[in-house]
Amino acid sequence: MTADDATTLGGIGSRELAVAAALALAVVVATAAFPMIVDARAAYEIPVEQQSSAGDLADPTGDAWQSVETVDVPMSSSGAAVPGGSDAAVDSASVAAARTDERLYLRLSWSDASANTSTDSLRAFADSTAVQLPVSSEERPPIAMGSTDNRVNVWYWNGADGTESLLAGGAGSTTQIPESAVETNAAHSGDRWTVVFSRPLASDRANVTDIAPNEDVNAAFAVWQGANEERSGQKAVSEWYYLSLDPDDGGAPYETVLWALAGIAVVFTTFVTVEGIRRTRGE
Amino acid sequence: MSKTTDDTVHQTEDGARQTEDGDVPLAEGVDHQVAMVMDLNKCIGCQTCTIACKTNWTESGGREYMYWNNVETKPGAGYPRDWEEMGGGWDEEGQSRTPGELPEQEDYGRAWDFNHEAIMYEGSDEPLRPMENADWGPNWDEDEGAGEYPNSYYFYLPRICNHCTHPSCVEACPRSAIYKREEDGIVLVDQDRCRGYRYCVEGCPYKKVFYNAQTKTSEKCIFCYPRIEGEGPEGEVRPPSCAEDCPPQLRHVGFLDDEAGPIHKLVNEYEVALRLHPEYRTEPNVYYIPPYAPPQTSESGETVDADRIPRNYLEELFGPEVESALNTITREREKVERGEESELMEILSTVNNDDQYRLEVFDDDG
Repeated sequence: MTADDATTLGGIGSRELAVAAALALAVVVATAAFPMIVDARAAYEIPVEQQSSAGDLADPTGDAWQSVETVDVPMSSSGAAVPGGSDAAVDSASVAAARTDERLYLRLSWSDASANTSTDSLRAFADSTAVQLPVSSEERPPIAMGSTDNRVNVWYWNGADGTESLLAGGAGSTTQIPESAVETNAAHSGDRWTVVFSRPLASDRANVTDIAPNEDVNAAFAVWQGANEERSGQKAVSEWYYLSLDPDDGGAPYETVLWALAGIAVVFTTFVTVEGIRRTRGE
Repeated sequence: MSKTTDDTVHQTEDGARQTEDGDVPLAEGVDHQVAMVMDLNKCIGCQTCTIACKTNWTESGGREYMYWNNVETKPGAGYPRDWEEMGGGWDEEGQSRTPGELPEQEDYGRAWDFNHEAIMYEGSDEPLRPMENADWGPNWDEDEGAGEYPNSYYFYLPRICNHCTHPSCVEACPRSAIYKREEDGIVLVDQDRCRGYRYCVEGCPYKKVFYNAQTKTSEKCIFCYPRIEGEGPEGEVRPPSCAEDCPPQLRHVGFLDDEAGPIHKLVNEYEVALRLHPEYRTEPNVYYIPPYAPPQTSESGETVDADRIPRNYLEELFGPEVESALNTITREREKVERGEESELMEILSTVNNDDQYRLEVFDDDG
């Protein structure tokens, strides 16, 4: 703002300053409140609610899930090099997580008007979903089924054949792990599938993710729509998320911090501007 | 027929190589290649091969609808119905796979329930017949063929897996569950690796991989490998059942790279044994001697100098080489008619099984 511009503001008085101050206050309030209203989580966080007992968490429609925060996870086709690899029907899933001292429960829900639960004929493909976890949590494996030196566990549910625990080290390497500890319950109602996976947190088996009670775990999600003949790499997939098991995650998530910093910057700029006008006018 | 749409899948080059001592191209990583030549002039459509295969391999357990060996009437819709319209195979460069379609179950035909109970036990005098859904099945259009009386025509086409040199079913599997085995190029499905995705069923342009809805895996012709390995009841090396049980003995079985054998002579020297639909570019290792037929006749029954089976139809099936193949056979037949010797005619008319089935020539290899 130049001095000439400032002189055109010659009529500014205490009333205008009061308006400016009110505006600044509104901005401060809004910047503080907005992230609380819209999104109190960090990006890619799946909060894991601690519950004292399992209750009916294993039930996809269990009351125990009512208090658990649900995260809307966007999905897109995997783009895998199979026919239809860029054609996935499902575009998002709702994911919620809860735990007891012993078990982790993951509830996935997605829109699918038809329940396809058979692979009993040549052209029948079953609705399916999966959760992918790193075998070792130190570094995120490649999102597409991991790699030979950074493998993934997959908890897999298929509407026709039930539950499998899988190990993969890259696309095409998926291998079933015998005697899986993963359990599932699934329900289809109101044009939606809801599937609950659960597993004991701890595992001492080779090639099975050991979930420490106080450490975040990376997780990615996939959904196959049987009616669209989806199978293998033809699926809807998410990016990597993390299951927030670390209690220290309870502090201000960084998104909130950023919003607060932005608010302070706006207020500071407003005051500098107002002060500049005042000085220009020689008040 | 072949789809070249957005979902064309690019694959790595699958180069063929030369054998050490010859010029027969084999698939990469394959020591020898089993092969079969079927002489379509001898097929009587009796389906003995079909039943021999079925009783060995596909009687039950989700395989009821499968015919790893089938005999269909040509011209005709075949098994599964209209399989030639379902895509699969490779594009013109032979590098990009065209995924193809999954057949409907009805295209194969379903196992029919017959009224045995009513006729055998309840005194019904109705004819023995399927009770319902008998509107399509393997070789349903038997002997219909094409053409107008008195020059109608048809012939029988026995089909098994072609154990291709450039198999698009193998390329189709994202898990490498289907593979060409090293010792003889037989294409097999690893039942432990298969997860029932059915890309191989789509990808085979001959529709010779089948989905088993009970085991949830895909299955196919195994070229009777236990028999050719000598693992049968008598411990003898035997040709596949479809060949050995054939009443007119129309098949030669051996190795494509056995240069002293009849298959190499028929395929590479005389060039009278042709691939079915070479334009699919999977390079089949089952070859056919194309069918002759009597010439056309006039209304009054006089012989007319015209092909009964149109050459362009045979070209649709066996490619443009069918012309020279039939000419070669004609020339060699005429030699025999003149009392001259013809190695080709001797190979094609042999009744010695030792000449027809040469499966132990490479047994001394490491």
